[in-house]
This record gives sequence, structure tokens and C-alpha cells, in this order.
Amino acid sequence: MASTAISSGVTYRSARLLWLRDSINWLYVLPALFFFCMYMLYPIIEVVVISFTDYKYLSDEPMRFIGLTNFINALQDPLVHLGLWRALYFTLIFLPGVIFIPLFVAILLDRVSNPSLASLYRVILLIPAVIPGPMIFVLWRWMYDFEVGPINTVLVNYLHLFTYRNAPQWLGNSPLTIPSIAFVEWWWGLGYHTMFFLAGLAAIPRELFEAARVDGANEWQMFWNVTLPRLRPIFVILVVLRFGTAMAVIDEYIIMGGFNRALPTYTWTVYMWHLAFNIGSWFQGYAAAIGWIGAAAMLIVVGFLFYVFRNRD
Amino acid sequence: MSSKKTENPLLAQLQNGRLSRRQFLINTIAAGLAVGGMKVLAPVSGLGGIAYAQEERPLTPTFYEWIISIHPLIKDEVDAKFPGGVNSQIAPVEGFDVARFVAEAKMGQSTWDVYVGMTPFVEMAGLVKAGVIEPWDPYIPKEVLDDMIPSIREECTVDGKLYSWPFLIDVIVQAWNNSITSKAGIEDKPPANWEEYLANAKQVVDSGAAPYGCTFDAHGWRSLAPITHSISTDCYYLLEGDPSGVPLYDFTSEPALQALEIMKRMLELSSANALQPGTTDGGVNLTPDEVAFGAQRVAYYVKYQNAPLRYARKWPDPSALRLAALPSGGEGATVFWTTGACLFKYGKNKEKAAEYMKALTYNMAIWKDSISGIPSGHQPGQLPPFQSIWDQMKAENPDWLQANPWAFLVLDQLKVAKAIPNHKYGLQQFIIGQPYWEKYFLGEEPDPKKAMQEAKDAVVAEMKKVGDL
Repeated sequence: MASTAISSGVTYRSARLLWLRDSINWLYVLPALFFFCMYMLYPIIEVVVISFTDYKYLSDEPMRFIGLTNFINALQDPLVHLGLWRALYFTLIFLPGVIFIPLFVAILLDRVSNPSLASLYRVILLIPAVIPGPMIFVLWRWMYDFEVGPINTVLVNYLHLFTYRNAPQWLGNSPLTIPSIAFVEWWWGLGYHTMFFLAGLAAIPRELFEAARVDGANEWQMFWNVTLPRLRPIFVILVVLRFGTAMAVIDEYIIMGGFNRALPTYTWTVYMWHLAFNIGSWFQGYAAAIGWIGAAAMLIVVGFLFYVFRNRD
Repeated sequence: MSSKKTENPLLAQLQNGRLSRRQFLINTIAAGLAVGGMKVLAPVSGLGGIAYAQEERPLTPTFYEWIISIHPLIKDEVDAKFPGGVNSQIAPVEGFDVARFVAEAKMGQSTWDVYVGMTPFVEMAGLVKAGVIEPWDPYIPKEVLDDMIPSIREECTVDGKLYSWPFLIDVIVQAWNNSITSKAGIEDKPPANWEEYLANAKQVVDSGAAPYGCTFDAHGWRSLAPITHSISTDCYYLLEGDPSGVPLYDFTSEPALQALEIMKRMLELSSANALQPGTTDGGVNLTPDEVAFGAQRVAYYVKYQNAPLRYARKWPDPSALRLAALPSGGEGATVFWTTGACLFKYGKNKEKAAEYMKALTYNMAIWKDSISGIPSGHQPGQLPPFQSIWDQMKAENPDWLQANPWAFLVLDQLKVAKAIPNHKYGLQQFIIGQPYWEKYFLGEEPDPKKAMQEAKDAVVAEMKKVGDL
């Protein structure tokens, strides 16, 4: 009995201490929770609310609930369709490059046996990743400049592959615009994405490769049957993450293309921003509805991607 | 383990094994977030009231960044000498975005007292409608008001009240590179009309003096509108049902159609990328025409006067630059706009703001610097909006003014120039319409009237879509 009483008391006290400790842990989480609520949750709720209203930022008229009118109009808006298609087109070009190029580089880097050299390569690869985005885009805007950009200067003045009349137009209303921007994104993210694959490659047990070699597998067979399946989780993360970011690109488009609706860079995100902060009374209710339609379209595709990459074991 | 004393107690505990790595991480994040969070949270929640302390503060003007960049004397000549001190700041208005001003006004607050950087036909109507700014009339001295060049005063006025205190003037002119045109065998005088302009530009290309004969800025308010004005200013219409009562540009008017034809012919003598957007401010600035003119690859140029002045400074021989009024085939007018200052409704120090603007806009050192520049390459090329300043310069006729005859040339244009009306869609009508008239340039639409009708319809459709009609 006494031992039971003692153990109950100890148990009760331990439980209280445990509860106290867990409560204190919440204090550490509170700032992050506050940030999340203020900067993520609250804006999302706000945008949901205004998407059902006729809210115009520059107007002093009270906003009115208009139901699904904004959504219906947005679904019928040709610019929304065109904008989504343009974003999807960019994503379809961008995604393979952001997966397979870093994968190739990671496989090469993984085979470097000299640790110092491997570290040096990693540092070089990560240099673009530490440059702020707007600076990257302004830099490449200069690189791609038709008149004085170094790419066309080399092509026209040194290699004589083109004249100043027919030199490539890397940006603007040109078929090269989207691939040019995709290339910038590949270059910018190469180091970062390579690290993802390097981590994945490091996690593959070496014994699997040795066993495969013993069984007579060549390099290609080992890559296809050992490396790729083991990297599936990395693929899932990168494809889903990068799909989302590619569809939601806006900074690059505004810097590289401005607000000309004829340009391939005028996507649904640019249209949404243009409506919300530039045009007329800033019809943010409508812009919010466009945002939700874009988000819903992306969620559908992400769901499909998860299905495709599901674990089949 | 290092025996070196560390300033970080958490790290010391980790190193001494008194803290697990997990606990170290948690404590560090918590400490870091708390400190960073409070710093960030203060202005958002108004806890510290740091950003919005308004009871006592020095005069706080805010400038669009490019104004301070090209007029550095503002700091030394005006701010440093203003009684009571001035807390000048750079405005968060990249890409002409005034959302911050509107947001503060909605909360009944204003971090700043006056914004220097407003262009009437771009932002003024919106800022007035949103209740962000108030008229200068109670504060501006009558002699200053009467001293404004009439067309400028009209541009800055809404419903009889002055909402913009004008500071800098941009007038669309023609410029040319005489080192190129003389090489092409063209006489050193401005083309009298657009036919001569285009013939000269073709001669430049045919002679091989430069790759391109002429160029322009593809944005409509910098090319289509002024070229239209040079033919006739009867190119605006009142849209039925528009509550603003301010006219819009009539894309289908005869002068506009003629301007479109001229631009198409100019494009044939321009660079292949002439229609591309610029590099900064949402594609509006650092445009291909500026690059081509600065690189001396084109002879003739249509733009506001300070652009060729600034870019000619990069030439080996800047004195090769020539400026003139737009070729006048009709009324001889052009487009101008001012960049001025607006008074925040919820700002403070309003009387001081008026004194400051008077000190700024009447400072002769700034105008001397702007007109004559300095040999090392700086020449803003902007002009004063007040008649008395011009009278003074004319009377004194200093050497630096004699060396820059373009100043009076541009002033003469100002007397007949017309501003783009201050409609909420004053700027956006050209952005919305641009893809349609460019279809004609690119051969996608062979009928110019149809292309311009589509542009006009697109503006009306946009106004209806966003509920402004």
C-alpha cells in the first residue's frame, strides 16, 4: 500500500512536471505560431473573404458580398485561361531541367573521391544560390540584352553567327522568352537542387551497388534499377515543390516582361497583381478570386503528382 | 573541445555537455524569434508606434528614388539648409506602386508628410479618389500658384484644386546624334515634318552611318500619344457612362491613326527589339531605345528630353547631341507631364511642407545642375515649372544657359504642349491597348483601324470588368 501510495504520488508529480514542461515548450512555439497566424493564416482568410466581395482597394465604398460572381467571371476571363496556360508552359519546360540537370551533376559530384575537390565543387555550385533573386534577374536581363548583352555580342561580333538584324531576341515577344527564363532558373537553383540529390545518393547503401556489380550489372543498369528507385522520395519533393513555385512565378515575369499582355511572361500571377495594384480602383476582390482559381488548379495537379509518385510497395 | 571562452552562453552549455543539441536548437530558435519577432511586430501592431510617431516630428518628405539619384543637390542645397531640419526618405514605390500610401491612409496615418514623385496622369486620380492626398491650396502661396506655367497648373489641378506641386518637367522631343547624321550626309537641322524625319532616318540606314535610323519608346504615353499630339490634340473623347468626366485617349481618332502609321514606318528603321520592355520598374524604364541611343547605334530618337541628354553623356563626344521639338506636321504640340509633390492628408507639418516645396522648386543651384550638368557626365535635363525662374534665367543669361539652348526650345514646346488627361486609366489605357496596336506593327492585323478599335474596346472592357464603368 505504502509503495502504491508513494508510486501514485511520484506518478502524479511526474505527470504534473511533464505537463508543465510541455506547457513551457509551447512558449517557445508561440512566436512562430504568431508569425504563422499573422503572416500566413490571416492573409489567407482575408483573401478568402474578399474573393466573395466587390472589394476595391482605392474605393471608399463599403465592400459588398457578391457570392461567386468573381469566380464565375474569372473562369470566363480569357486572360485567366491564357495566363494559366502560359504558366503551365513555363512549368513544363522548367521542371525537367530542374530535376535531371542537378541529378546528373550530383551523380558526377558523388564520384569525386578527393574530399577537398568535392567541397570546392559544392561551393562553386552554391554561389548563384546566395545571390538575391531580383539581382539575378536584372543580371540576366543584361545578359540577354539584344544590343549590348554579352551573349548577343559574342554571337554577332565574335562568332559572326548572326547579324544585328537577326540576332536572337531572348526576351520580349519571342519564342525564346520562356526557355530563356527557365535557363536562368536552372542556373540559379543548380547548386541547391544538386544538394538534394547528393543527400539522397549518400543515403543509398553502397552494398547495393557492390551486389549489383557482382551480379554483372553495368553502370546504366545500376542507375536505373538501384539509384533511381532510391531517389524517388527526392523526386517527389522536388517535383511537387518546384511545380508549385514554377506555376506561381511572378518576380521574374515582371522584371523580364513588365505588364504587356501580349508577352508570354504575362501569366495569371502577373495579371492578378496588375489587377490588384495597378488597374483602375484596384479590384482586389476579383484578383483574389483569380488567385484562388490558380491555387485550385495547382492543387489538382499536385494531387495527381502524388498519385503518380505514390509508393507502390 | 575548444577552451576559448565563448560569448554565447547557449553555445557554452552545448560545448560543455550541459545542453543537448535538441535543447540548444529549441532555445536558440525561441530566443532568436522572440527578439526578431518583437522588432518586426512593433510597427505592425503599433506597439512601439515607431513608424507612426506623429505628434512631434521633423518635416518628413519622401522621394521616388530616381529623383534623389539624378538630383543629388537636393540633400546639400535644400535639406541641409531647411530651418528645423528635414528627414528625407526614399519612398517604397518601385514600379510606381503606391499601395503603402493607400494602406496608411486607410488607417488614418501617414509615415510621411509629402511625396515627391507623383505624376498626375499616372497616380493622382487614384490617390485623390482614395483620400490619400489633399489639395495644396490652403498652404501654397498665391504668388507661387500664379507663377506656374498655365498648362502645368491645369495638369496639376482636379476640380479646381491643386493636388500636385510641380517640380520636374518632362516634354517629349526629338533628339538626334549629329555625328551619325553628318556621316550620313544629312544637314544639321531638325526635320520639319514626319516625312522628312523618316526620309532622314532611312538615309542613315542606307548610308551605313548607323544600324538604325530612328527609335522610340514603345510605351504609348511616350510615343503614340505625343506623336498624335504633334498632328492634332483632338484625340480624346468622353466615354459614355464614365463617372469621372475626364476624357480618354481615342485610339480610333484620325490623328491617332496617322500617328500609328508613322510609328510603323519608324519601326522598320529601328532595332528588332524596339518593342521589348525595359529592365526596371515593371519594364517601364531602361528601355531598348535608351540602350540603342546610348550605344550610338541609332540616329533619331523620340523621348522626353532628359533621356537623350543623359545617354549622350556616355558618348565620346556628347556635343554631337541635338534636341528639337517634335516634327510638326500639324499643330506642333507634344505631350508633357510633370513630376511633383503631393500632400498626404494624414501627414503633419503641412505649412512646413509648402515652405519646403517652395525652397526645393525655386532653388537655382538645382536648376543650373539640371540644365547644364557637370563635365563628369551628370546631366538630369529637367526643367523648372515656374515662369519667374525662366524670366530670371533669361534676364541673367548665364554662360551655362547659353551652352544649353535646348532648355528654351523645350520651354517653347511647353506653351503649346498638352498633358494627358488625369483619368484613373490615364496610364493604364496605353498599357492595356499596347498589345492591340502592336498587332498592326507585327503584321498580325493588317487593318490599323481594326487594331486601334480593339485597343479602344479593350480599355472599355477592362473598365467594365473591374467595375469602374
